[in-house]
Amino acid sequence: MRMPRVRGQARCGLGKGDRVEADELLLLVAGGDQKAFEELYGLVSGPVFGLVRRVVRDPAQSEEVAQEVLLELWRSAAKFDPGRGSAMSWILTLAHRRAVDRVRSARAAGEREQREALRANQPAFDQVTEEVEAGLEREWVRRCLDRLTVLQRQSVTLAYYEGYTYREVAEQLSLPLGTVKTRMRDGLTRMRECLGGVA
Amino acid sequence: MSLFRREDLHSLAAPYALDALEPPERVRFERHLADCDRCGAEVRALSEDAVRLAWSTTAPPPAALRERVMLAVRTTPQDPAPQGAVREPARARAAQLPPHVWGAQPPPRQRQRRRIPLFVPFATATAAAALVVASLFAVQANRTQDRLTAEQDRSREIAHVLAAPDARASTGRDGRGRTIGVIASATEGSAVVTLGGYGAPAGGRVHQLWLMRPGAQPRSLGLFQGDTPLVATGLGTSATSLAVTVEPAGGSPQPTTQPFVQLALKSVGFGE
Repeated sequence: MRMPRVRGQARCGLGKGDRVEADELLLLVAGGDQKAFEELYGLVSGPVFGLVRRVVRDPAQSEEVAQEVLLELWRSAAKFDPGRGSAMSWILTLAHRRAVDRVRSARAAGEREQREALRANQPAFDQVTEEVEAGLEREWVRRCLDRLTVLQRQSVTLAYYEGYTYREVAEQLSLPLGTVKTRMRDGLTRMRECLGGVA
Repeated sequence: MSLFRREDLHSLAAPYALDALEPPERVRFERHLADCDRCGAEVRALSEDAVRLAWSTTAPPPAALRERVMLAVRTTPQDPAPQGAVREPARARAAQLPPHVWGAQPPPRQRQRRRIPLFVPFATATAAAALVVASLFAVQANRTQDRLTAEQDRSREIAHVLAAPDARASTGRDGRGRTIGVIASATEGSAVVTLGGYGAPAGGRVHQLWLMRPGAQPRSLGLFQGDTPLVATGLGTSATSLAVTVEPAGGSPQPTTQPFVQLALKSVGFGE
């Protein structure tokens, strides 16, 4: 049986038990429980680090951002409210936001070269390791991404995995802004149907 | 900037869920969310969809990251819970907002204005490799079983640094013959650091290793435990030097004393 709050997700990512455990642990962490934080670290450091590295790419910077995010979990745990969603969602949303902020300021500083934009849809640099670790989840997400139209897929992945704004995505794909916004929405909705429909 | 019509704003739900808005748009959209009853649930659903894209990226973090985070946790106070957060009626609508909204604030920086003056890095040498490796083996004896996994992780990381094609060694020695040795790889952004001859600081205090970068605060790289080599990762090419200070038990978020030893990283390929 699935928890109502995590319906449709049980197939993707951590097991249901991990997810519920993360909720409980984060609440304990909010009370200053360092032991609970160590356990939470064991559950979430892989997803957090993997996501940050996927977006940021540079290994040293990825570690820095992941460290900031994990420390922020400790510091800001009291802001988590289980009534608003799962702990894993909260944590990964936070990690994504920080990773995107970092990659954008790096781009603004000219650290990332233009050619990276062109490689946007190539696999991350260390895909082999990731596949070993996250084979099943990766497989499902990839399978569902494959079912999107090319423009839906590119709009979603350029934004989420590469950290581009929808304006930048529109520029790269030579599409009107409105089209990109629609493709993003349709892409996400179709991912939901695909992943949620996995029985 | 043109004014946004309501429908225009509404169409930003998906880019918002993907973190694909520029900051001013993000702010405008979040303001809109607060006034839009039907938006909350929709944005939250789209945000949950976006998070699923993260499930496929899981990757094991380096073991040294754990040490650094745990050290930081021991020395970092927690933020208080938001005032009367969930119960107040005025806040009721906020409960429908996606995590972005309440997790959106950047972490408050613990700015210490005080600049920490450092003394001049001293000599580098070539015998450092022998130094590091010797102390490395010296400490391998006499380990209890429960520390074995951690030791194996550490060994693997050390081997990783040593095996890097650009691994280079450097050592510093002070007037009393005490040493700091480092083997580092700039491309890996990692280093193995050892102290020699310093002994344990008195009164339960600890030796803490710091990464020094231009224009940035020192960053803790961990605590030395006896003469065990410390593996530092995530150094970045802008790293200019390593410094060691004496800190209270458990370490400090920022140095509280003058470094007693510092080693420039230029000779091992950083800051170039």
